[in-house]
Amino acid sequence: MPTELVVLVSVLVFPGGLFAFALGLALKGVDRRVAARLQGRVGPPLLQPAFDLVKLGFKRTMVPDTAVPGVFLAAPLIGVVAMALAVALVPIAGVYMPDPRLGNLLVLLYLLSVPGIALMIAGSASGSPFGAVGFSREMALMLAYEATIVLVVAAVGLRTGHAEGQVVTFSLAEIVRHQQEHGAYLLDPVMWPAVAAFLFFYPANLGIVPFDIPEAETEILEGPLLEYSGPALALFKVMSALKTVVVLSLGIALFCPVAPDGIAGFAVWLAMMLGLLVVGISAVRVSIGRMRIDQAFSFFLKWPLLLAAASLTVVVVV
Amino acid sequence: MLLARNLKRIAARSPWLYRINSGSCNGCDVELATTACIPRYDVERLGCQYCGSPRHADIVLITGPLNRHVKDAVLRLWEEIPEPKVTVAVGVCPISGGIFRESYAVCAPVDQYLPVDVNVPGCPPRPQAIIEGVAKAIEIWRARL
Ligand code: SF4
Repeated sequence: MPTELVVLVSVLVFPGGLFAFALGLALKGVDRRVAARLQGRVGPPLLQPAFDLVKLGFKRTMVPDTAVPGVFLAAPLIGVVAMALAVALVPIAGVYMPDPRLGNLLVLLYLLSVPGIALMIAGSASGSPFGAVGFSREMALMLAYEATIVLVVAAVGLRTGHAEGQVVTFSLAEIVRHQQEHGAYLLDPVMWPAVAAFLFFYPANLGIVPFDIPEAETEILEGPLLEYSGPALALFKVMSALKTVVVLSLGIALFCPVAPDGIAGFAVWLAMMLGLLVVGISAVRVSIGRMRIDQAFSFFLKWPLLLAAASLTVVVVV
Repeated sequence: MLLARNLKRIAARSPWLYRINSGSCNGCDVELATTACIPRYDVERLGCQYCGSPRHADIVLITGPLNRHVKDAVLRLWEEIPEPKVTVAVGVCPISGGIFRESYAVCAPVDQYLPVDVNVPGCPPRPQAIIEGVAKAIEIWRARL
């Protein structure tokens, strides 16, 4: 196959596009079901997120008088497109290696912050005061957690770079290959603080309790999403489903991409995704309450940042 | 045609609930908030979800006798909910005024102002009754989709 076609397929069909869409919805469904079971409820059917999308397709999209219509409607689209591209950038060990022309880890970092920005744009373009509060909270939270992920990525990049005889590498493909040959970073004590920092980062990035402060429905009525209805809201749901896939699989690629080739590798990858989801998202969100924005802000600037910096320092010094 | 019908059947499995408190004594609200969606009587298995924004709502649950003070706000809020929607009156308050019926401060019954589709009487209604009301509302809503 010509390489252009390969790139296109990886963005639109596997692992981006259709596949990520289906997987993201399934993960959301599992999350809701598991959370319900942990609370002693029956919970919704596994396909509930898909039902929600179909339902939203039947509803009307209302644009408030105070909104800027173009920006208001474009914001969810920007988020979805960025996430569909981002999925294609993350390798799946033994199954999928992204084409280097798609971009490296740095591009992925930029793409990862797009959904947050899309939410900020949405909040401010909706003209609602709750949207504005959501905007400011999203921004504060992003400032807090972005530093952590940058340090984590730098630690992984430097570690791999040193081991491969370069200064630093930001190619995810190289990082994955290195770990397949020399063992996962999950088993490397130097990287443990970075792993812990990543475990704090991803609920914040995905907007999950205790870090769902920008979309707190009991305080600010879902903030930026308040004014959205119908298909536009459905796009935001798709965006967050895709983002779940991106962030979880990024975690696996950075720290534990060891799996056999082919179908078995794919199964291992799926199992790891599910494990991360159930332990890191469902179990956490049913057992603790939401933080305040100032608590979350100072929390992120203290512990996860410290952990990530510890890993980075050791990597640089040793 | 067939596809559209099937899609509508799927869509009807995701009714999102929105609560409007039009001056209730809070008894019905407690019943809605805790009993109807907490482990014992889980409405999420019907696909329901309480949503914070009226724009996301499909089924509106109104409690309280529609106080004169909040009447305009309630009516405006109801207008903000995108079609198709179904309105459920929870408790005797919105149906007749209940224990507040002769007060100068209430505008009940609510159906003078809004088309109410399902009435769930009781003061407050039992959670089972609320769930039944929601199930009836889902039937009506499916026809309207
Ligand atoms: S019906 Fe009874 S419990 Fe419900 S709001 Fe009215 S007075 Fe309170």
